[in-house]
Amino acid sequence: MTTQQTRPSLDDPRIAIPSTSEWYEPAPTAQTERQAEFLNLRDGEMFINMGPQHPSTHGVLRIVVKVNGEQVVDLDPVLGYLHRGVEKLCENADYHQAICYTDPLEYVASLFCEAAPVAAFEKLMDVEVPRRAQYIRVLTMELNRIASHTLFQGWMALDLGGITPILWSFIERDEIVDMLAALTGQKLLYNYYRIGGVNGDLNHEFMSRLGNWMSRAAAQIDSNTGLINENELFVRRTRGLGTLDQATALRMGVTGPNLRATGVPFDLRRDHPYLVYPELEFNVPTRDEGDSLARYMVRIDEIRESIRIIDQVLHEMPDGPVMAKLPRLIRPRPGRAFGAVEGPRGAYGVYAISDGTDQPFRMRIHDPSFVHLQLVGPLTRGNLIADTMAVMASLDPVMGGVDK
Amino acid sequence: MDRALASALQERLGATLLAPVRQRFDETEIRVSIADAIPTLRALHDEPNFAFEMLIDLCGVDTGEEMQVVYHLSSSTTGDWLRVIVPGVDRNAPRVNSLVSLWPGAEWMEREAYDMFGIIFEGNRDLRRIYMPDDYLSHPLRKDFYLADDASRSPAAGVRNMERAGTPADATRATALRKSSGA
Repeated sequence: MTTQQTRPSLDDPRIAIPSTSEWYEPAPTAQTERQAEFLNLRDGEMFINMGPQHPSTHGVLRIVVKVNGEQVVDLDPVLGYLHRGVEKLCENADYHQAICYTDPLEYVASLFCEAAPVAAFEKLMDVEVPRRAQYIRVLTMELNRIASHTLFQGWMALDLGGITPILWSFIERDEIVDMLAALTGQKLLYNYYRIGGVNGDLNHEFMSRLGNWMSRAAAQIDSNTGLINENELFVRRTRGLGTLDQATALRMGVTGPNLRATGVPFDLRRDHPYLVYPELEFNVPTRDEGDSLARYMVRIDEIRESIRIIDQVLHEMPDGPVMAKLPRLIRPRPGRAFGAVEGPRGAYGVYAISDGTDQPFRMRIHDPSFVHLQLVGPLTRGNLIADTMAVMASLDPVMGGVDK
Repeated sequence: MDRALASALQERLGATLLAPVRQRFDETEIRVSIADAIPTLRALHDEPNFAFEMLIDLCGVDTGEEMQVVYHLSSSTTGDWLRVIVPGVDRNAPRVNSLVSLWPGAEWMEREAYDMFGIIFEGNRDLRRIYMPDDYLSHPLRKDFYLADDASRSPAAGVRNMERAGTPADATRATALRKSSGA
């Protein structure tokens, strides 16, 4: 008995082991009703942190996942790791510089990020783009769309655990990227479009590479898709997963292939025509299922339509100048304009306000990936953790655009 | 430019419009007050002759004198973009109604407008910062927020803010949008 009394008690603060709650950072306090709901853990539930350096989050996205065993109960994406304040930078740059700032937003399809502000500024300046420049823009944008969609194809398979397809899809993408590099001098951030036209006419190297690629493009795309589309593992993991219905898609503000996969044939190239798209013949591929597989299939169909458009553009491209006559210093009259293009991920829009100076007074950049990322929560609730990645991959967000 | 849309909007919403319908290129623009905003957007969404079912964009604008909330809508009935501007939001206590009941997808765009401008959207259940950290204090896209190393527009033009010992008294004066733009 005496020896026991000289020994310190287990409750003695000098030797006491801290309770488990002190091992971790304190849980964040809820700022909103929704966050309070999210932070409230029920029996058997726990939080798991995914990202921001997770290979499948397509950039630096952090997702706090509330799980019950393997099942996702709820999740809360945390954005802002890549926030550069592009809108503010554009307000402090002149109109030409603003186009450079928008370039790296969607770095896998940066021509679309240029096309939207350029469209808005051209409306502000009330300038007509020469026909040849319009055709060149359509040509380069469709090439960039194919490059983006082929990369998506590889990414999606990679996120589901297949390593081979991304190596194959990079063959196509690299060829297009090199082609555009021959034209613009840059591999990824082209900065090729100018207010009133494009920076330089098509050159010989671009045309010979394009001709070479076009002769085998369709066959190559077919062989790449054959690698994935007929893979039973891929199809069984994506069919019926993350099903989005038409009404929800419309109310969530979804655009692009993700919306067309639910059966809505909405395409800005058709519904809000710009450049020479009204004169070109192409289909707007849709699917009715709205699941991950449908979102994948719509994109594959779009690659084929893009090849068709490029074919027509090459046959119909007129000669002429590629820049409109404009003063060097862009100083639009005060006003407002909204320019939008159909990017590989959806409606990419820029709302520009001019106050008569050489800098945009306000430049709002709308990125479709930002809206689509909201769907990750609703679409993965009740699924397994591994399916979160499959759903995210099929929505195809690019964090550069989400975080701006 | 869809002339029929302008006349239909004028006829249906005539009393609530703060200014006549404006059209330029493929854009149609209307202005409604804060109180009328959500009923107007609901009517544009629900009524079959408008059927503006798609919310393409929601953003805040700081004109230097007031805040605005701007919506861009798209419909299958017309090739025009519809821009709904809600002007006259108080800069010192910006507060409007949330669109989440109509378009749940507006939630994050409202969070962004709150983060960047401090506009409070009543009815948004998750109105917290989305890009900036939770303990951040200012709202970066407001016109009285100057970039640290860009002094070209500030009252202390020519002096780099980072190198300045103190903040001049009028450094928070906002750049205002010129009246001629009709904003």
